[in-house]
Amino acid sequence: MTAEIVIALLAAAVQSGTPILYATLGEIFSERSGVLNLGVEGIMLIGALAGFITAKATGAPLYGFLAGGVCGALLAAVHGLVCLVFQGNQVVSGLALTILGTGLSSFWGTPFIGQRTVGFAKLPLPLLSEIPLLGDIFFRHDPLIYLSYLLAPLMWAFLRYTRWGLGLRAVGEHPEAAAAAGLRVLAYRWAGVLGGGVLMGFGGAYLSLAYTHLWTNGLSAGRGWIAVALVIFTFWRPGRAILGAYLFGGVMAFQLRLQAMGTTLPSSLLLMLPYGLTIAVLVFSSWRGRGSEAPAALGINIEPRE
Amino acid sequence: MRVQVTKRQEPLGWGSCFIFLGALAFSLAVSAALLGLQGKPPATGIRLLFAGAFGSPWALEDCLLKAVPIFLCALGVAVAFRLQIWNLGAEGQFALGAIGASWVALSFPTLPGRYLLPLMFLAAALAGGLWGLIPAVLKLGLRVNEIIVTLMLNYIGILILEYKVYGAWKDPGSFGFPMTPEFPAAAIVGSIGATRLNWGLLVCLAAGAAIALFLDHTRLGYELKASGENIRAARYARLPYERLVLLVMALSGALAGWAGCLEASGSLHRLQPTIMVGYGYTAIVVAWLARLHPLKIAIAALLLAGLRVGVENLQLDLQVPAAFGQIMEGLILLTVLAGNFFKDYRLRWREAG
Amino acid sequence: MRRWLLILLILALGTAGTLSAAEKELKVGFVYVSPIGDAGWSYAHDLGRQHIAALPGVQTSYVEAVPEGADAERVILNMARKNFDIIFATSFGYMDPMLKVAQQFPDTVFMHCSGFKRHQNMGNYFGRMYQARYLSGMVAGAMTRKKILGYVAAFPIPEVIRGINAFTLGAQAVNPEVQVRVVWTKTWYDPATEKEAAKSLLDVGADVIAQHQDSPGPQEAAQEAGVYSIGYNSDMSQFAPKAHLVAPVWNWGPFYEEIVNAVRDGSWTSQSHWYGMDKGMVALSPMTELVPQAVQDMVRAKKDAITAGTAKVFTGPISDQSGTVRIPAGESATDEALLGMDWFVQGVVGTTE
Repeated sequence: MTAEIVIALLAAAVQSGTPILYATLGEIFSERSGVLNLGVEGIMLIGALAGFITAKATGAPLYGFLAGGVCGALLAAVHGLVCLVFQGNQVVSGLALTILGTGLSSFWGTPFIGQRTVGFAKLPLPLLSEIPLLGDIFFRHDPLIYLSYLLAPLMWAFLRYTRWGLGLRAVGEHPEAAAAAGLRVLAYRWAGVLGGGVLMGFGGAYLSLAYTHLWTNGLSAGRGWIAVALVIFTFWRPGRAILGAYLFGGVMAFQLRLQAMGTTLPSSLLLMLPYGLTIAVLVFSSWRGRGSEAPAALGINIEPRE
Repeated sequence: MRVQVTKRQEPLGWGSCFIFLGALAFSLAVSAALLGLQGKPPATGIRLLFAGAFGSPWALEDCLLKAVPIFLCALGVAVAFRLQIWNLGAEGQFALGAIGASWVALSFPTLPGRYLLPLMFLAAALAGGLWGLIPAVLKLGLRVNEIIVTLMLNYIGILILEYKVYGAWKDPGSFGFPMTPEFPAAAIVGSIGATRLNWGLLVCLAAGAAIALFLDHTRLGYELKASGENIRAARYARLPYERLVLLVMALSGALAGWAGCLEASGSLHRLQPTIMVGYGYTAIVVAWLARLHPLKIAIAALLLAGLRVGVENLQLDLQVPAAFGQIMEGLILLTVLAGNFFKDYRLRWREAG
Repeated sequence: MRRWLLILLILALGTAGTLSAAEKELKVGFVYVSPIGDAGWSYAHDLGRQHIAALPGVQTSYVEAVPEGADAERVILNMARKNFDIIFATSFGYMDPMLKVAQQFPDTVFMHCSGFKRHQNMGNYFGRMYQARYLSGMVAGAMTRKKILGYVAAFPIPEVIRGINAFTLGAQAVNPEVQVRVVWTKTWYDPATEKEAAKSLLDVGADVIAQHQDSPGPQEAAQEAGVYSIGYNSDMSQFAPKAHLVAPVWNWGPFYEEIVNAVRDGSWTSQSHWYGMDKGMVALSPMTELVPQAVQDMVRAKKDAITAGTAKVFTGPISDQSGTVRIPAGESATDEALLGMDWFVQGVVGTTE
């Protein structure tokens, strides 16, 4: 393993981890407001398809990216409707959303397989990309990755220092107390669901607009589920999401590079690495967790008032 | 004018049946609309769906064949759900069951059927049960969320299957394609008469009856139902929650394992990666729709099996993409979830003020 | 009113039936293992289907994404019951299910792709894609500077392994010291994983990327890195105009037409068809202008030799990765050896598991 290969691997880890990062941030946002959304996989797929079609039709990748976010929010809105209005169980609704999102994206997306779209190209940042080591790893990517660098700290600041961020967290921890204090609990939860949906849609759009410029049914290949697991690993803190996402991106990229280097390990075993790592990460988080880190009211619907 | 929402004091009884059917009708309508948007005739499409699923004796046969693994997996998942454990790992437990059964079939090819088949079922139950116990132990010991663990174990289980089938168990006569040799005749669950159904149906009946008996007439079954209602209260009442969790997950895994065993033995007569067609995930939908009653689970399993079979008809005659069935599954689940709202609450229009 | 309409309809159909009885409409069905939009294996077969659908008196239909096993049996059975005249099943795993159905429907013609079992009304067919792969390997060998070729491959099944070997032999014929590195993605169409796999090959120094995958993901990776690429299944130059050199492609249309005509005029018999470049079943897409004229001429000469039958790809001496001679000097590999190929030739870095 020469230094060159290691640097290339780390750069690949960043790129491979970016869709997971977007999705994880989205799920953190949703769960902080108290809504568990297991439909990440389905939302990512819809976002990816919407982004692909829009970019192809308009010729502008940016519109595609935005469309991905909007459509992600639309699908998340179904989850919001079923859980926030109709008091549906959040776990089951999220699962149903994954099934629906996967089905819809395959149904509508089948004609687009084998086509390509315009997308985002690599854009090395001036000055920053010249830094030895770090420049190659972090600053020779496409604009969406640079955007993701900003998102995590932005979310952290939002949740910690703004009035709305605190309101969102309050709603996720003690909705009754928040309501008594005059906060509009449902409104905040909707914001959590929709905001989360936008970010998850962005994560999906990244796959079809930057990671590749292609579409296929099932493009996200399980990344949505990894994002849900990562939220637990990050103790619901945006900052740690970066670490977790790149770790996973790295594992996925690593097993392929091991093969390229000529390992004799069977590929089936290597492919287990990301999933095994997810379990390991969860065990580690639970073992190290100081009490319960999750938002206290996560997954619990608020009954309508009489 | 505004809508007032009040919680119902008495449960809804027969009305809940109507709500369920209404939800189904709504999802059918939306699906039909989707067909229309794609330029396919919606009414014809829905008719083909039903005709393909239930419109002929062989279609019913196909539905029953598919319903068997779905039913067994759903039975296990439903039992876990009742204890508020989200066992999403039926798919992986199914795979492990198939692996266990295949190991027996390939390792003891000379045993007569009356020993070999029960041994296969035992191995399948052990393998699947083990796969179900892992998330249970992690949950009890380290409070690890079972949703993610069971899901990840699905992927890992399938990869283990592929590993064996591409490697040590590959049939030398299969021209390099990933499949085990065909099972010896003694290892194959036979067909019922001249139909294409196999005796797996009997296994379903037995399992369903056993679970029903267990839940309604044993003490442990009662404790399970009670614990599911309110875990904290159950613990306070000294109900053996930990033991129940382990039992339930092992049982869940064993049932899904039997489904895998039946598919490998009765359907495919060998083990190959294409045994995995998503029964485990459909089972989750079935389990949720049907709650804990084995009879309801059987009906729901038949319904969703019919959906899969009917969608093929749709493909053949109207060239509708294969993903249509998934859309319907998701829609049905979402609408039933939303519809449940009306079981617990009633709406009244009120004058403002 | 409705009764009258029904009678009118029957009369109309009857007259239409008698009118067209003069020219028998052939119903041809296709069973695909993956969605046709995958720009790959099933897509190529579907192009063949569209070719015969354009012929007069031929009506086609298909079902896509059919898992091998019981599902496949049901789909084929369904088609047979609906009086399809010819059914093409395009995946190895459909062999046993098709055979079962063929035994029940002696009047229907069954054609199985990539298998080896036959029946009086069931034949099989495949294409010698390895010939085109050999030629593409020659191009790669001529264009590489670093003598490392990268191969993104889906599953370690014989046709993929055969293709890799042929590619390597072709490259070595032009450039004896080349090395071919293989990465398994364990998926037929996942652009993200395939692209990542290509990137990992680029990271170890490959400067030509080839693939046995159905998406253009690896092509994109090659173009982004400024190196060359070899496509598959169809001309992929639109995805990587600055990188794409050539692609081995399938051309099923003429073969399907041949079968349709044979069935129509009654001359069809059960055979194993393994056609190559001589019959046009496999071909090489046009070489792009990135390939120098001298190389193009050399490849074309070899192509003519293979088409004429004077040159065979797998002619000894050929050793495997451990140095053992598998095909002795002066001999050519038999079709059987080729169909079951599960070892890599020397010069390939990777495992077959």
